Amino acid sequence: MNASIILETHHLSKQFGGLVAVNDISLHFERGALHSIIGPNGAGKTTFFNLLTGKYRPTSGTVIYKGEDITRQPVFQRARRGIGRSFQITNIFPNLTVLENVRLSAQALSSINFRFFRTALSYDQYIRRAYEILELVGLNDSALLPANALPHGGKRKLELAILLAADPELLLLDEPTAGMASEQVPELIQTINALRQASQGAKTIIMVEHNMNVVMNISDRITVMHLGSVLAEGTPAEIAANKTVQSVYLGELYGDYGRGQSA
Amino acid sequence: MKERAIPWVFLLILVSLIAFPFIVALLTGSSPLGVARGDRMIMRGESVRWQAVLIEIFLLGILAMSYNLIFGFTGVISFGHALFFGMGGYTIGLLLEFTDLDTTSALIFGLIGGLALAALLGLIIGLVSLRLQGVYFAIFTLAVAEMFFIFFGRLQLTRAEDGFAITDLPVWLDPTQSRLTFYYIVLAVFVLTFVFIRRLVNSPTGAVFKAIRENEDRASAIGYNPLTYKLIAITIGGVFAALAGILQVILNKKVGPELLSVTYTVDPLLMTIIGGIGTFTGPVIGASGLHLLDTALREQIVTIGSTTIRVADSWSLLLGLIFIAVVLIFPQGIVGTWMRWRARRVRLSSPPKGAENPVQADH
Ligand SMILES: Nc1ncnc2c1ncn2[C@@H]1O[C@H](COP(=O)(O)OP(=O)(O)OP(=O)(O)O)[C@@H](O)[C@H]1O
Ligand SMILES: [Mg+2]
Repeated sequence: MNASIILETHHLSKQFGGLVAVNDISLHFERGALHSIIGPNGAGKTTFFNLLTGKYRPTSGTVIYKGEDITRQPVFQRARRGIGRSFQITNIFPNLTVLENVRLSAQALSSINFRFFRTALSYDQYIRRAYEILELVGLNDSALLPANALPHGGKRKLELAILLAADPELLLLDEPTAGMASEQVPELIQTINALRQASQGAKTIIMVEHNMNVVMNISDRITVMHLGSVLAEGTPAEIAANKTVQSVYLGELYGDYGRGQSA
Repeated sequence: MKERAIPWVFLLILVSLIAFPFIVALLTGSSPLGVARGDRMIMRGESVRWQAVLIEIFLLGILAMSYNLIFGFTGVISFGHALFFGMGGYTIGLLLEFTDLDTTSALIFGLIGGLALAALLGLIIGLVSLRLQGVYFAIFTLAVAEMFFIFFGRLQLTRAEDGFAITDLPVWLDPTQSRLTFYYIVLAVFVLTFVFIRRLVNSPTGAVFKAIRENEDRASAIGYNPLTYKLIAITIGGVFAALAGILQVILNKKVGPELLSVTYTVDPLLMTIIGGIGTFTGPVIGASGLHLLDTALREQIVTIGSTTIRVADSWSLLLGLIFIAVVLIFPQGIVGTWMRWRARRVRLSSPPKGAENPVQADH
């Protein structure tokens, strides 16, 4: 067992009726790395994430996390073992406050979940933790608003804050810049970089992203998916130079940039 | 919602409820104890009459609050709430009337047994069916409750449809003898239920209930097992419903399959919706409103032109109309709508700094 590999998949496939959304994917992800997954709309990137987090059971294949087969584990158990994710389509607790959204995530892995009788607000380490994270993503001024009162960009930040508050070891980011105003993108990159620096190689990030500038700049490795399969894998330089990727995909993607953004 | 201390309004209401039998007695010149006839008491006079009305309200309030814990705070729609209510009632009734236990033991074991049975049923039903989504779970619970309703409607041991009377109550507990004592017992249980549910909902566990109600998918993605928390909510809600059923049996001194009928699911559901889903006071306000209306109107006979309508005959229709009216006027229930309105006013008068879009929260 190679300890520098945090997650691997073996011949992972997912079929929806006749559609093979994920087709025989065997990948491994290095601990501490930022590994991007790119590919056109419908390539199967989100479905692949759903297999990693347990939202879907694969049709065949296995998922190995820290050397253990987690293919059959439910979503919440994988989350408790350190796999966190953010969603492509904002997925928050709409009628709770921004603070409570993040506090819930900070509380999730604690030992107080089954305390019935003291108010949750008296366990203030989780509130402090939530405020820290809100500060980090730049939402602390909106802490007491209901989450659904946030503008779209704010909801994207909240999405990230919920993920970060649980302090996962493996972060799955599904298009973190989707629908963000372009001036907010550098801010996000900075947050991600700061997080990686602070963790000193303890945190692994797998990121699905359409924004090629972002991908090329911050990734250690890139996997290109196409029609459910892996088309190529390598360093950003290798991917940029890869002739198949160029002809089949990169040109199309750059040309297709607007569509990818709005997904 | 977030206050730690008990707000003074609640204390004021509590004091009024404690004083209530005596206030009515003073105002109407009746005795809060009823009328003595030899060594027995007769429950006659305005004070004891109103005590009975309030006891009913407390009972329905407990039932509605317990339903709201499951439905309003955890977001699980169950149509089987009557099962808990009725099984609580049957347990204590059976122990009082069909065993050799002395009355005190029967009461104690009936109470403990009724609550334990409700907890067990909640766990079993939850484990078997909570994996079903939304409406399928609702239908499953309805089917289970109806099964018990039909079963006890035919069980000869408990006199089938007729049910049986409770004859064996000690004088101190008997609402036809010591109504004032019973009033305070039920008031105490009511307050206890209110405080317990409020603390539970505000606790770390309750925070997860609300998270699951809001977005189950996200709650599991951050590491909560929705099944566990729904089980807790259903079990605790079931226990409080059983408590209401036990008190109801003592109040009416009668056990019958009507305790298991869908009425005791629909009523708390309506009361919760009318008062405000997922609020603390809503179910109580809904219960008070509906029961007071029931008391005030049911015996009335209305004559419009040449047609005479006995309200009792068209009670369900009237209830339906009231329900529609309230839901149209107060889309989030009485308390819910009021809270939204107040929150909006606060936010309008002092928009939090840095909020790009402070007001548009659509509730
Ligand atoms: N639950 C589902 N049921 C049926 N088909 C699905 C389901 N989820 C995804 N698909 C299909 O699987 C294919 C892959 O979808 P997926 O969402 O994984 O793509 P993606 O790479 O994330 O695309 P995008 O860039 O648009 O987010 C698509 O054809 C999609 O329609
Ligand atoms: Mg996707």
